[in-house]
Amino acid sequence: MNTARNPRFIRRRKESLVAYGFLAIPMSLFLFLSVGIFFYAIYISTFDWGIMGPTEFVGFDNYEKAFSDPIFLKAVRNSVKYALIVVPIQSALGLFLALLVNSKIKGSKFFRSAFYFPSIASSAAITTLFIFLMAPDGVFNGTLQFFGVDTANLFNQGAWLSDSRTALYSIIGLNAWTTSGTMMLFYLANLQTVDSQYAEAAQVDGASRRQVFWYITMPLLKPAHLFVVATGMIGALQLYDQAILAGGADGSPDYSLMTVVLYIYNACFRQFEFGYASAIGVVLFVIIFSLTLLQKALFGSAGWRGEN
Amino acid sequence: MLIFYSVLTIVPFLWSVGTSFKPSEEVYQSNLIPNAPTGEAYATVFGKIQPNFQTLFANSLFIACVVVILHLVFASLAGYAFARLHFPGRDVLFFVVLGAMMIPDQLRLVPMYQMLVNMGLINDGPSNYLAIFLIKAISAADVFLMRQYFLTIPKEMEDAAKIDGAGPFQLFSRVMLPNAAPVLATVAILTFQGTWNDLFWPSIVLQSPSHWTLPFGILQFKGQFSTDWPPIMALVVLSTIPILALYIFAQRYIINVQLASSAKG
Repeated sequence: MNTARNPRFIRRRKESLVAYGFLAIPMSLFLFLSVGIFFYAIYISTFDWGIMGPTEFVGFDNYEKAFSDPIFLKAVRNSVKYALIVVPIQSALGLFLALLVNSKIKGSKFFRSAFYFPSIASSAAITTLFIFLMAPDGVFNGTLQFFGVDTANLFNQGAWLSDSRTALYSIIGLNAWTTSGTMMLFYLANLQTVDSQYAEAAQVDGASRRQVFWYITMPLLKPAHLFVVATGMIGALQLYDQAILAGGADGSPDYSLMTVVLYIYNACFRQFEFGYASAIGVVLFVIIFSLTLLQKALFGSAGWRGEN
Repeated sequence: MLIFYSVLTIVPFLWSVGTSFKPSEEVYQSNLIPNAPTGEAYATVFGKIQPNFQTLFANSLFIACVVVILHLVFASLAGYAFARLHFPGRDVLFFVVLGAMMIPDQLRLVPMYQMLVNMGLINDGPSNYLAIFLIKAISAADVFLMRQYFLTIPKEMEDAAKIDGAGPFQLFSRVMLPNAAPVLATVAILTFQGTWNDLFWPSIVLQSPSHWTLPFGILQFKGQFSTDWPPIMALVVLSTIPILALYIFAQRYIINVQLASSAKG
């Protein structure tokens, strides 16, 4: 018994050592760059911390300060509004495109590539192009004029990105367009694992196409719904590139493009209030984290429409 | 419907190409193809601007390649250990990896920047590149992806090599890695694309203009040129071509990873 256990014990110990060898650098990096940084963020957020380092321990003052700053509240409203509008649009559009491409028509491969195309370029390139197309004299207004819209006399004079009433919605349009390609791929991946037998059986039983879609296809796509909405929400709350490109660091005009992340950037690199900026980073993390948990709870256990 | 939406996705890019060849007085005219095509915008971005396109391109390429190598090495090492080896604390350590996935970059911004300042990496010199490499050194999602893939490789393949006397590192490098080519390609492509396109960290960390990447250059020059669109569009076009080429060659890997990552969701 003992002689049998001994070599096994030695082998186990050897395997452990090998494993720690493989993991030494990767895990140190995680502990340092994620775990350590996470606690460092919380630590910094409790100080009055300027460019020269900490000056005074202030407890939760930075957090209180954030929630009494109208610009921060505006940034939160903008980010949440953006997320709540863009996620349903990009998900629905992604699903729609996936269903289009999934049908067995000629050239579906080409269309799949075409639809995914806006998702591959950098946000800097795409947003710059978009700003150009949306300029008052740009292609977008030119197209509207072609269809008889008098853009110069619109409520915003056709200045989509420099009018505070339309700037955020324009960015929503931009990102619904660029991200729907990625969302389409997630849905396609799911669609390809769905057995078409269910839909066929339902059709034989006399279900209409609409019924098949709502009661068969949609419930079977639950994993994709969960994934698309969760990643969409997390991405949407991190809006930064498009906002700084279109509205500068102030999120112009009139803070209409000020987002939470842009606000962190300002607090850190223009006001040099590191403690304050860090506190807002922690707030953003809490929002994203609870949304993730909420989605897991909602989609994960409570069930989905049509699911028995 | 299909054709309409394809027009919507492709025409804007054609417009950027068209505009990049236009003389400035034609910019707001509604013709896609310039009446008097000119390469002036390209002459500007290759020559007159500081840093010029070549510098931006070289920086983007250098940074993306180093980050790809780091991700491949660390993700395959850690992925292998989590997929195949047994050791005390495995679940705890794997939980740390999953936890790391939950921490958004925006939370890391301030502490990371402060730490890089403390380390003296926020500067005008070449060590500024190290700051970017450190920030992006490892990706929890890639470790997860590698682990999932290694789990699908049959154990028998390792057993055969073990009988031939292969040690643990040989099992990893001679048996597992060659069989993991598709997932390695996926990690490489997605990392390259993500790093190439990233604006957030370069705009925060890179100090000297001679270190700027293409997206950061576009942001800066968009401010400088304001409405002189042809050179800006030339930058947009030139920065998109490499990523487009990558996409054309590697489409099947990109589609594959979407499958893999949505399966875990």
